[in-house]
Amino acid sequence: MGRAIALAAVAALLLAVPILFRDPYVLHIAIYAGINVMLVSGLNLLVGYMGLLSLGHGAFWGLGAYGSALLAVKLGISFWVGLPAGALLAALMSFLLGNLILRVRGHRFVIITIAFQEITRLVHYNWVELTNGQNGLSGVPSPVVAIPGLLEINFFAKENFYYLVLAFAALTVYVCYRLVGSHVGRALVAIRENESLAESVGVNTFRYSMIAFGTGAFFAGLAGSLYAHYSRYVSPDVFDFIHIVEMLIMILMGGRGTIAGPVVGAIIFTALPESLRFVGLSPAAQWFTLGLILVVGILYVPEGIVPRVARLLARRRGARPAAATENPA
Amino acid sequence: MSLLRLQNLTVRFGGVTAVKDVTFEVLEGEILSLIGPNGAGKTTIFNLLTGFARPSEGDILYRGSSLVGRATHEISDLGIIRTFQKTMVFPTISVMAGTLVGLHSSVRAGGWDILWNSRRKRREEAALLARAREILAFTGIADKGDVLARNLSYGEQRLLEIAVGMAANPQVFLLDEPVSGMNAEETARVRRLIRAIRDRGVTIFLVEHNMNVVMDISDRIVVLDHGEKIAEGRPETIQRSPEVIRAYLGEGYERARARRRA
Repeated sequence: MGRAIALAAVAALLLAVPILFRDPYVLHIAIYAGINVMLVSGLNLLVGYMGLLSLGHGAFWGLGAYGSALLAVKLGISFWVGLPAGALLAALMSFLLGNLILRVRGHRFVIITIAFQEITRLVHYNWVELTNGQNGLSGVPSPVVAIPGLLEINFFAKENFYYLVLAFAALTVYVCYRLVGSHVGRALVAIRENESLAESVGVNTFRYSMIAFGTGAFFAGLAGSLYAHYSRYVSPDVFDFIHIVEMLIMILMGGRGTIAGPVVGAIIFTALPESLRFVGLSPAAQWFTLGLILVVGILYVPEGIVPRVARLLARRRGARPAAATENPA
Repeated sequence: MSLLRLQNLTVRFGGVTAVKDVTFEVLEGEILSLIGPNGAGKTTIFNLLTGFARPSEGDILYRGSSLVGRATHEISDLGIIRTFQKTMVFPTISVMAGTLVGLHSSVRAGGWDILWNSRRKRREEAALLARAREILAFTGIADKGDVLARNLSYGEQRLLEIAVGMAANPQVFLLDEPVSGMNAEETARVRRLIRAIRDRGVTIFLVEHNMNVVMDISDRIVVLDHGEKIAEGRPETIQRSPEVIRAYLGEGYERARARRRA
C-alpha cells in the first residue's frame, strides 16, 4: 500500500515537471535525463544483474539514432515508423554480435564490445555519401501527431517532447521491472553469481545473456531515435567513448542490479554537470568537481545511492535490509 | 534397469589420459558410489556426464540415447543434475532465491505472462515459492530462507547445494564429495538425506572419500585408479578386493605385509 502511494506520488511529480518548471532549459535537461534512463536501464540488465561489462552500448543508441534519422532525412519516412525501425536495427545488430561474442566472458568480452563500438563509429564517420560523415545529418524532423480536423501535436515543443520521452522511459523501466521480477531476472542473477552452477540446474546461459543484451540494445535504439528527433541532428559524436563512461557512472552510482538505481543515477548525473555550470563554475572546475564527487561516491557509497538509502530507511524502521535479489554483487 | 550407461569412455587432455576405456552402468533407483585415489578420474567422469567435458572416445547413454555433445543445461533438463566438489552456491543472493533458480526448468510462464504479470504467472510464482519451501524443509535448512548463501556455515552451504540440485528435479543426482570437510554430526545428517532422496525415487551416483559413508549407503561401488576401472561390485566384495587395497594403500603395503608374514 505504502509502495503504491509512493509510486503515485513519483508519477504525479514527473507528470507535473513541465508545469512546475516553465524554464525550457530545465525541460531540456529532463528530456536528456529520460533518454539516459532508457539507455542505462537496459544496460543495467547486462552490467548490474548479469554482471557482464559491455562498453559497446553506445553503438546501439547510435544505430537507433542514425537508423531513424536516415529514414526520415533520406526517405521522408515518419518518426513513428523510424522509431521502431531504429530500435529493431539495434536489436538485430545485437543479435548478430551476441551470437559471436556472448560465449566469451571477462576481459575478452569487454574488448570486443569496445571494438564493435569503434567500428560502428568509423563506418558512420567514413560512409560520407550516406551519413554525411563528420558533418552529421541535420534537418531530422520533430515528431508530429496529426489527425486532420481533430488534433495536431507537434513535439517540437519541449513540454510535448518531455511527455513523449517520459512515456518511453516509463515503458523501458516497466519492461525491465517485469523481466527482473520473473525467472528471467533470476536466471540473469544466477549467471552473475555462478555461471557453471546456473548451467547445471538447467539455465541456458547463452540464451539469457542474449535476452539481456538484446533487450538493452532495443531500448538503446529507441533512446537513440528519440535523441535524433529531439536534437534534430545526429553526428558520429553519439559513438564517443565518453557516453559509455557516463552510462556506467549512472549505473554504478545509482545502484547496479536494482531497478530504481540506474533511474536515480541517470537523473542525478544528467542534472549534476548542468547545475555545476549553472552555479558559475568554469568548465575545468566543473569536471574537477564532478570527478571529486565520483571518487568520494565510489569510496563511501560503493553499493550505490539507492541501495544505501533503502538500507538506511529499513534500519530506521527496524526492518530487514531490502530484498536479497536486489543486492548488487 | 540400466538408466545411464558409460561405454568405453576415454578422455585425453593433451598427452594425459584422465579416463581410459571405462565401462559401467548406473541402475535405476540404486545408490552407486565411484571411489578411487585422488586423480583417479572421478570428477572427470562427472564432467563428462554433465557436458562440462567431452569424451575423446566412447559414449554415454541415458535411457538409450547419447548425451555426448549436448550442452550442460540440456542434460540438466533430461534430469541429470550434479553438485560440485568445490562448494558452489549463488553467494550474494538468499537461500530462497537460489533455490528458486534451481526450479528454473519447471517455469512455464512465457514472455506475455511476464510483461503483463498475468494471473497464470503469479499463480506459478506462488507455486514455485511453495515448492522451494518444501525443498528447504526437506534438506533441513527451512529456517535459513532469508539468509545470504555466503553467510551460511560450510555445512549449511553444502546442504544448500543439495537443495538447489533437488529443485532442478533430478532423475539421477550426481553428488561430488558431499560430506568432505564435515564433522561427524553433519556427515550423519547428509547420509540420512541421501537415503531420503533415494527414497523419493531419485537414483544416486556418488563420488566420496569417506569410506564409512560409502560402505554404509552404497548398493554398488565402482573403483577407479589412474583412469581405469579396477573393480565393481557390492561393498563387501570391494572391501576385500586385493586390487582395491593395492590402489589405496600402494604396492609397499602389500610387500610389507608379505615380509611380515615371511
